Formats: sequence, C-alpha cells, structure tokens
Amino acid sequence: MAQKKLEKQLNILDYALSSLWRRRMKSLSLLLVFAAVIFLLASFQLVTQALSDKAKQVLAYTPEITLQKMSVGRQEAIPLAYRERLGGIFGIRRVVPRIWGYYFDEVRLANYTVMGMEVGEMPEGARLDTALASGAMPGPGPEEQGKVVIGQSIKKALALEGRTTFSLFRPDLSLKAFEVSGEFSRDTDILTNDLMVMNLAEARDLFALPAGMVTDLCVYVANPKEIDTIARKISEALPAVRVLTRPQIQKTYQVVFGWRSGFGSICLLAALAAFVILAWDKASGLSPEERREIAILKVLGWETSDILAVRFWESVLVSGLACILGMTAAYIHVVYFAASLFRPVLMGWSVLRPELYLVPRLEAGDILLILAFTVIPYLAATVIPAWRSATVPADSALGG
Amino acid sequence: MLIELSGVSKIYNQGKANEVRALSDIDLEVEQGSMVCLKGPSGSGKSTLLAIIGCIFPPTSGRAAIAGRQLARLPDRFLTLHRRETIGFIFQRFNILPELTVLDNITLPLLPLGVPPRERRQRAQQLLERFAISHRARFPAGQISGGELQRVAIARALINNQPIILADEPTAHLDTALSREFMEIMQQLKAAGKTIVIASHDPLVFEHSAIDRTVTIKDGRIHVP
Repeated sequence: MAQKKLEKQLNILDYALSSLWRRRMKSLSLLLVFAAVIFLLASFQLVTQALSDKAKQVLAYTPEITLQKMSVGRQEAIPLAYRERLGGIFGIRRVVPRIWGYYFDEVRLANYTVMGMEVGEMPEGARLDTALASGAMPGPGPEEQGKVVIGQSIKKALALEGRTTFSLFRPDLSLKAFEVSGEFSRDTDILTNDLMVMNLAEARDLFALPAGMVTDLCVYVANPKEIDTIARKISEALPAVRVLTRPQIQKTYQVVFGWRSGFGSICLLAALAAFVILAWDKASGLSPEERREIAILKVLGWETSDILAVRFWESVLVSGLACILGMTAAYIHVVYFAASLFRPVLMGWSVLRPELYLVPRLEAGDILLILAFTVIPYLAATVIPAWRSATVPADSALGG
Repeated sequence: MLIELSGVSKIYNQGKANEVRALSDIDLEVEQGSMVCLKGPSGSGKSTLLAIIGCIFPPTSGRAAIAGRQLARLPDRFLTLHRRETIGFIFQRFNILPELTVLDNITLPLLPLGVPPRERRQRAQQLLERFAISHRARFPAGQISGGELQRVAIARALINNQPIILADEPTAHLDTALSREFMEIMQQLKAAGKTIVIASHDPLVFEHSAIDRTVTIKDGRIHVP
C-alpha cells in the first residue's frame, strides 16, 4: 500500500515535471523572478553575516577602554604623563600608548590609516600579529627604524612590485624612508586593508608629534565586567579626557548596522511582496488549454487531490530550483563581486573602503530563514489558485 | 444489467435563477457486452446522460446503478474511484494532450493508480501494437494524423481494462473513412465483451450493424417514436 502511494507520488511528480516543461516560457519567467528575489535576500543575509563577523573581528583588537584628549570639542594629542594619573585605579591591567592617524599620500592620491604602537606591550589576543599573512610586527628598538607592516590595499597603492622600501613625506616635506617588514592577511581586510603599523617612535616622527605626546591611551582591564566602573573612575580622574569603552563602540556599530540592515530588509520585503502578487497572478490565470487539460485528467480518473499534488510539486520544483539558483548566485555575488549591490547600503558611502574581501558563512538557520521568507509565501500564494484549478468540473471535457 | 437507470433527472443550478433541467425521468438498461447509441441533436441531453453513466456526477433524482454501484450513495471521491475501475472515455475531438507523446497520453489514467513506469509502458505497448501505432509511441500527439489520434484515444480508454466504454460524439470531426474505421474497432471491442455506449447524431454510427439499440433523446427525455 505504501509502495503504491509512493509510486503514485513519483508518477505525479513526473507529470508535474513534464507539465512545467510544456509551459516552459511561463515556468522560466516565474523561476527567474523567484531566483532573483532569493538572490537578493540571500545576498543580503550573506553580507549581513559576513560584516557582523568582520565587526566582531575588529572589536577583538579594540582596547577595552580608549582615552582621547578633547579640546573645544575636537580631539588633540594626549600627554603620556596621564598614564601616571591612572595608577591608583584598581583593576587596570595595562595602559598602552598609541598614535592613530590618517595619512593622505598626495603622490598616490590614497588615504592610509597609520598606527604607531609598541606591540609587545599589548596583551595577547589584542595584538595585531595574529592578523599577519607574512613577516613580523616592528619592535620597539632603534634597529626597527623605518619598519612597517602594511595592509593589502596599501601594497597595491604603493605598487611595490618586489621592492620592500618606500618613502612618505613628513609635514615639513622631508622624506621618511620605510621598509615593509610584514603584510596583513586578506581575512582581516575590514580592519587592516588600509592600515600601516609601525612603532611609536616612527609614527611620532612621521606625524611630527611632540615628544611625550600620543593620540590615544589604550586601557586594558583585568576583569571585563568592570569596564564601566573603571571607565567612570577614569572620567573622574581625567575630566578633560573622552573615555570610549568597547561595549559603547559595539553598540554604535550595532545601531548603525542595524538601521542599514533594517532599511535593506524593508526594501527586500517589498520586492518579495511584489513577487508573491506576481506568483498569485500567474497561478490564478488558467488558460482554456489548462482548464481543458484538468477536465480531461479528472474524467480519466484523477482526483482533485491528484491535481493539487501536481500543482504542489510544480511549486516545490520551481521554488527548489529558484533557491539553488538564487543562493548560488548570491554566494558568487558576495565572494567574487564583494557584494557590490549592497555595499553602499550596508557599509555607508562615507566609509567606503577601497576593497573588501567578505567571507560569507551560510548556516542551516540562515537557509531556513531564507526559505521561510520566500518558499512559504510562494506556496501560500499559489495554494488558492491551485485549488481553483483543481476544482474545474470534469464534465467540461464533454461536449454539449 | 451493467447499466441501470430508473427515473433519472438532472437539474443544473437547482434553485437558482439560471436553473436548467437537462434530463427528465430517464429509464435505461444496458446489458453487458452490448452496444447502445444515444441519438439526438445538440443540447438534447446526450452528454449529460453520458456523464451520469460515466460516474462524473450523480443524478439529481432517480436511481442510477453502474456495474452494481448506486451512484447517488457515492461521495465524489468514490465516484472517481469507481469511474477509474469501470469506465473508459472517448471524447469528442478525442481530447488528446498535443504536447505529450502518444505513449504518455495513453498511460495518463494509470498515473494516479500508482502503476510503475515499466508496467505502464508494457500495458501501453500492447495496445499500441493492437492498434498498429507502436511506431508513433514517442511522437508528440500533436504531430500524428487524425486516424492515429483516434486510435490513441481508444487505446487510452482501454488502458485500465475497464468493462464499459463511453464515447461522446466520437465521429463528429472525422471523415467517412475514419468514422467507419472507428465503428469497426468498436465492433471488435464489443466482440471482446466490452459494453459500449456512444452518444452521436451521426447516421454512420447509429445505423451501424454493430449497434444493438438506439435510444433517441429529445429535450432531456427518451423519445419513443
């Protein structure tokens, strides 16, 4: 009995396939529109996921507390001596000075992010050496003079082509020579793509920052649960200093990213709604030939449920194929074309980076979510038209 | 009796403004292995009577028993199941699906029965050979001749070996030669024990020697001259 039922479903599936093939223009147009909707949704999901992962990666390198000196609402250099005033605050593990700035290379018309720091002073896990593809981070000694680690887009902008040396202008237009001692991996592009890391003395020299001054003080705490308490104590000890905590930065990322993601989702849901209307329209418009075919099948002994099963399998085949096509196209779009359709929406125009290599991660939950937002509305949109077509009276196949 | 109708009436859209009485008080008995022709002009009620005999719908009133089953007592689903087992249909213009192959058209009634592909092909092949159209098995039905199309329609009506064959105006769009060929095949089927009911107003059908009885329908009633 079960074998008969299975054979029956296989026969009906076979008929549904041939039915789709017979109406191939209609089926193909529906398939392409459906695949396009799934492509948009899946791309969006993949980009969202990949960017979230990247954001987590960035935050892993962010100090737990960052101190910046503010004057008339603008950031200015902070004296290293401020470190001494933090000595009495219990729970601070380490305070690492950092010079963080932007360098506009007028020769190559490119912007670099320059970071000067003593990597050895940073706690493990926050060190950027884990982001290296090759070479080593510059150390603090004089023998490390001019050594830098660069990101992939800087390497491209400098057009090094086998060389390891290059020069940049100081503010007084004298040239400062550098030697590349390492390169950052493409996997950390969102953080390191335009990043140039050197030791503190070299960065101070490049920006002509006075001795004893840096741009930030990075504070690492012993217990992450005490970040807010320690931040409050720092604010009390150094009232002219802006205190940024990692959770605050994380929250800002989430708000900005969440807003963009929400905006994109609304646009995509509108596209989905339009598709459902199209599916309804296509499924409900029965041609005289289709009505005749259904009436013939019913006279030949097909039940209403058999016709419904044909329509169900047709919908499953169209949506299954559309899912495969749409998701594959989305993966290619994100991996090989760096999600060029969604980058402006999700990353913002003002912070657009020259290049970005996203590593998408599509999990079972994401696939189910995409299916829930596409296949289920499609099946729901076609069920009533399918019922209408299945209830065509059998006697309409007979003459008058 | 394989077909027994007693006081059968059919009213479409009963109780509505567009109510139509298609059949009134029909009594008809058809013995197993006989061939009966329902004769009458267009709109006389032949197709409605054929639909009741064919278990497509039950009568509005009266008794209709087909192969021992009372139609009025059968729900829709069981009407379909009974039709599958009992009735083979031949339609006006044959109602063959032109994009499907000849083989696929013939095996259509077997799909909801869960007959596996190999058995479907074997059963169809026997009929294709019987009607000398096996060379057309893989052809789209839309590309074969009118005579071949007619034989495909008959093969489809026989694929499940049903005891009753119903034909609705089968020669309406055929030339004389093909109409004669059709009646010859019906004669062979009758000789093989099939019970055949043909609705037609073609003299070539109702005057054929194989017809055991002609029933004239006029304005939904059996007309006794």
